Amino acid sequence: MKRGQLSRWDSLEARESRLAWLLTSPTALIVFGLIIFPAIFSIWISFHDVTLRNLNDVFHAPFVGWKNYVRVVNDFAFKFQNFRQWGAAVTSVVYSFASTFLTVLIGLLAALLLNKPFRGRGATRAIFLFPYVAPIVSVAFVWRWILDPRPSGVLNDVLMRLGLIGAPKAYLATRGLALLIVIVFEAWRYFPFAMLMILARLQAIDKTLYEAASVDGAGGWHKFRFITLSELRYVLGAVFLLRLIWTFNKFDDIFLLTGGGFGTNVLPVLTYQFSFGAYNFGKGAANAMILLSILLVFLLVYVRTVMRSTD
Amino acid sequence: MGDNVRRGRNTSSSSEQLNLIERLARSITWPRFIFAVTLTFFICSILFPFYWMVSSSFKSYAEIGGRHPVYVPSALRLDAYRELFDPSDPNFQNFGRNILNSVKVAVPTAVIAVILSTLGAYAVARLRFRGKGVLVNGILLVYLFPAVLLIIPLFAVFSQIGMKLGFSVQDNIPVLIITYLAQTIPVALYMLANYFRTIPAEIEQAGLIDGCSRMGVIWRITLPLSVPALVSVAIYTFMIAWNEFLYALVFLNSRSMFTMPIKINTIFNSPSPQPHVVMAASTVMTVPVVILFLALERFLEKGLTAGGVKG
Repeated sequence: MKRGQLSRWDSLEARESRLAWLLTSPTALIVFGLIIFPAIFSIWISFHDVTLRNLNDVFHAPFVGWKNYVRVVNDFAFKFQNFRQWGAAVTSVVYSFASTFLTVLIGLLAALLLNKPFRGRGATRAIFLFPYVAPIVSVAFVWRWILDPRPSGVLNDVLMRLGLIGAPKAYLATRGLALLIVIVFEAWRYFPFAMLMILARLQAIDKTLYEAASVDGAGGWHKFRFITLSELRYVLGAVFLLRLIWTFNKFDDIFLLTGGGFGTNVLPVLTYQFSFGAYNFGKGAANAMILLSILLVFLLVYVRTVMRSTD
Repeated sequence: MGDNVRRGRNTSSSSEQLNLIERLARSITWPRFIFAVTLTFFICSILFPFYWMVSSSFKSYAEIGGRHPVYVPSALRLDAYRELFDPSDPNFQNFGRNILNSVKVAVPTAVIAVILSTLGAYAVARLRFRGKGVLVNGILLVYLFPAVLLIIPLFAVFSQIGMKLGFSVQDNIPVLIITYLAQTIPVALYMLANYFRTIPAEIEQAGLIDGCSRMGVIWRITLPLSVPALVSVAIYTFMIAWNEFLYALVFLNSRSMFTMPIKINTIFNSPSPQPHVVMAASTVMTVPVVILFLALERFLEKGLTAGGVKG
């Protein structure tokens, strides 16, 4: 071997690079094998007729073109029919935007509450994180038990005692109301995430800004509007975007709360029903691709409008 | 309000009781009042579901099925827990086995995720190599893809591989662990890389100059300095695997293999409703997570904002 080659092979830079590849290869393998490849493969599945019958021989599944997509778009569970039957696509969009908005709003309120020191702040902060940390299955079923449609359900009992409702309500089995409850549940469970992100930014705001504003005679509202909110602009945008993506992709919450019934069927739950309820994997994959496309359109619009305007 | 109180003091300044009221009235200003009311509302609405879960788990069948909800159980009855754990109970659920299944899935997930992501995170944080950008961006993609999209191709591919190698996709704990790694490694890698960047590079360079190899530096210097981060990432990934619902629902088929979330779902959906048993099982599942979280709150909070529980 020539000296030059040897030294290049043996140089610190080359050794570091080889070590880096060695260290990252297991991670890279998992990320590509279990995230990137399946994502690409699901595009393939969405154009093929894959059911339980030929699942064991999936690579020879017959090509069907856009048929799966056509069947999804014409499915009564998917498409918008009238203002009572929204279909999963419209419900998904409404549900994601409404619950993300509410989550960020409550997160902001909670962060403002915890921003100033008071006795017991540490404990309060820890309690505020409970809904986010607890297992989804537990909290979803507690909510269902609280919202029990019988007169013995807690919420029914409390509201009837207060005279707010005359007869017990089936909260999760009433169109409209069920969607509202699911949105409130999302805000209850995920506001701590928004709170933590906003709180971290709040505590980093330069205090002299407020002092300067006070000298200039600004009131509390003006200080909030022109200092706090403007300093929080970026973090609010980031939290909104992240939560919107995650809420749009979320399966567990609605599946456990309503099973997708009573006007709460969203695209992830519908994907599950197509693939693992009806075992039509092609149709399920097509539905998931539509979900992903809607998400990508959101992202594109967001990046082009919101990010540009805040720059 | 303050004016009234001051006048009151002038007329009967000797009264001890009025002094107390006065002090109270003075300390209660509108902002403070609103603050206290909002804080109380937050704490109650967060804690009530948890109270309801734990208290319902100690109720008897009569208390659960009565005409009105029982707000405080008359005694700490263990009926529900007996049903879960006592083999002599007629409705024995054998929940201990489900706990064991959850541990069998969550512990290996946490251990493997920490080992692999430590290696990867070190390379990402410290070494320069080609393809780093692709790897980091590929990891971020996991935040974009919904779990329901990935599960269809994963299910198809694993059943294909399983048929070739002679194992079943369903009820296969190693398969479940591998899919959980795809969900936990990106978050773990992100958290650890951030942590490794906070360790001064000079310490490592000193080790390199003293003749340590890179692996020696990682083993002798970086890892001992990162014990808190490693522990919190381990707990964090453990919690994700412990709480996971969708993949377990699809990949586990026989009752003896169910992890806790799937078992709780099954008990909830059984033909005869037993909310107290569901609540007892939920309590058993939630308490360890909340205690772990409280014990390590300081470390885990960083993870909550850095990576987010994808979801």
